[in-house]
Amino acid sequence: MATATDTIVDQQAQQQETQLWSGGKSPFKTSYGKLMMWYFLLSDAFTFAAFLITYGAIRFSIGQENWPNPAKVFDAFPLLGHGYPLMFVSLMTFILIMSSVFMVRAVQEGQMMNKKGVVMWLGLTIIGGLAFLGCQAYEWYHMIELGMHGEPGGMTITQPITYYTGAHHTGELFTGPLAFGHLFYAITGFHGFHVFTGVMINIIVFVNVLANTYEKRGHYEMVEKVGLYWHFVDLVWVFVFLGFYLL
Amino acid sequence: MMTQEEYKHHVSSVWKATGILAAVTIVEVVIALIYDNYFPDSGLRMGLNIFMIVATLVKAFYIVAVFMHLKYERKALALTILMPLVFLVWFIIAFVWEGISWYNLRIF
Repeated sequence: MATATDTIVDQQAQQQETQLWSGGKSPFKTSYGKLMMWYFLLSDAFTFAAFLITYGAIRFSIGQENWPNPAKVFDAFPLLGHGYPLMFVSLMTFILIMSSVFMVRAVQEGQMMNKKGVVMWLGLTIIGGLAFLGCQAYEWYHMIELGMHGEPGGMTITQPITYYTGAHHTGELFTGPLAFGHLFYAITGFHGFHVFTGVMINIIVFVNVLANTYEKRGHYEMVEKVGLYWHFVDLVWVFVFLGFYLL
Repeated sequence: MMTQEEYKHHVSSVWKATGILAAVTIVEVVIALIYDNYFPDSGLRMGLNIFMIVATLVKAFYIVAVFMHLKYERKALALTILMPLVFLVWFIIAFVWEGISWYNLRIF
């Protein structure tokens, strides 16, 4: 049974709701910059999803039996040589996840207005990003050295591709491993480019932190914004890892 | 500006999420290696794939909710970001379907 107080409370709540959306303040309780970063990341998520789904569609069209075994695609490890499937990419995953964790810590220290903390954690984030890029360079170098390039006859290392010898329908049969190489470099390359730009933006913000730019501004929101971008890069890697190495 | 209490809570939830992400990744890799070395032709590939997809979604949840802080944002904001991703369900089904169709049209 609705009492008079309930009605008043209801009215007050309703008033607050209308005020929230009646302009003059953010209904999402967030700044313009952070909101737009979220929507940019949403659009970027669709771009990556389109890439990965294309990978899936082409893989299905070739058939599982003609596709390189994902776990064996890359089995080298620095100083140890070959025969360590998944190890190196797992290391890369760890590096990127840890870098992402350092970034959250930088964001949190920024919210506490603790400049020293931001400098330390953001510095570690940048080192993590550079380490990841180094690992990717190592991986690409080996892939290319081992013959995975976009030419017929490449890709021999990942799986013996018997159907190269079958002379009939060659045009179609080449599609599998060739497409694998193309998609691999396109998708990991596009992701690597995101990591690269992320590191660059992190360095710019790092310099600004050192120069007291955000201290003067009164808030470290810029760290939060680049933080969102950096976590997104980590998020995408989780799915690239799934598509290329686990499935 | 956060209070000291909130700060402590957020920091501990971040380390907890880190532990979960690390554990899930290790489990994924170990299972993938065991499968590949001992049961490569056991016909359980589909089950393995489902496990990998679920594990990846768990990781994605922790990254988005805790690291990207979406759990603590207003629900309306979270919905405007998450709802459009529903289109991906159609996207995946349509293109897997298409890929299988191409496969059936090929002459091997």
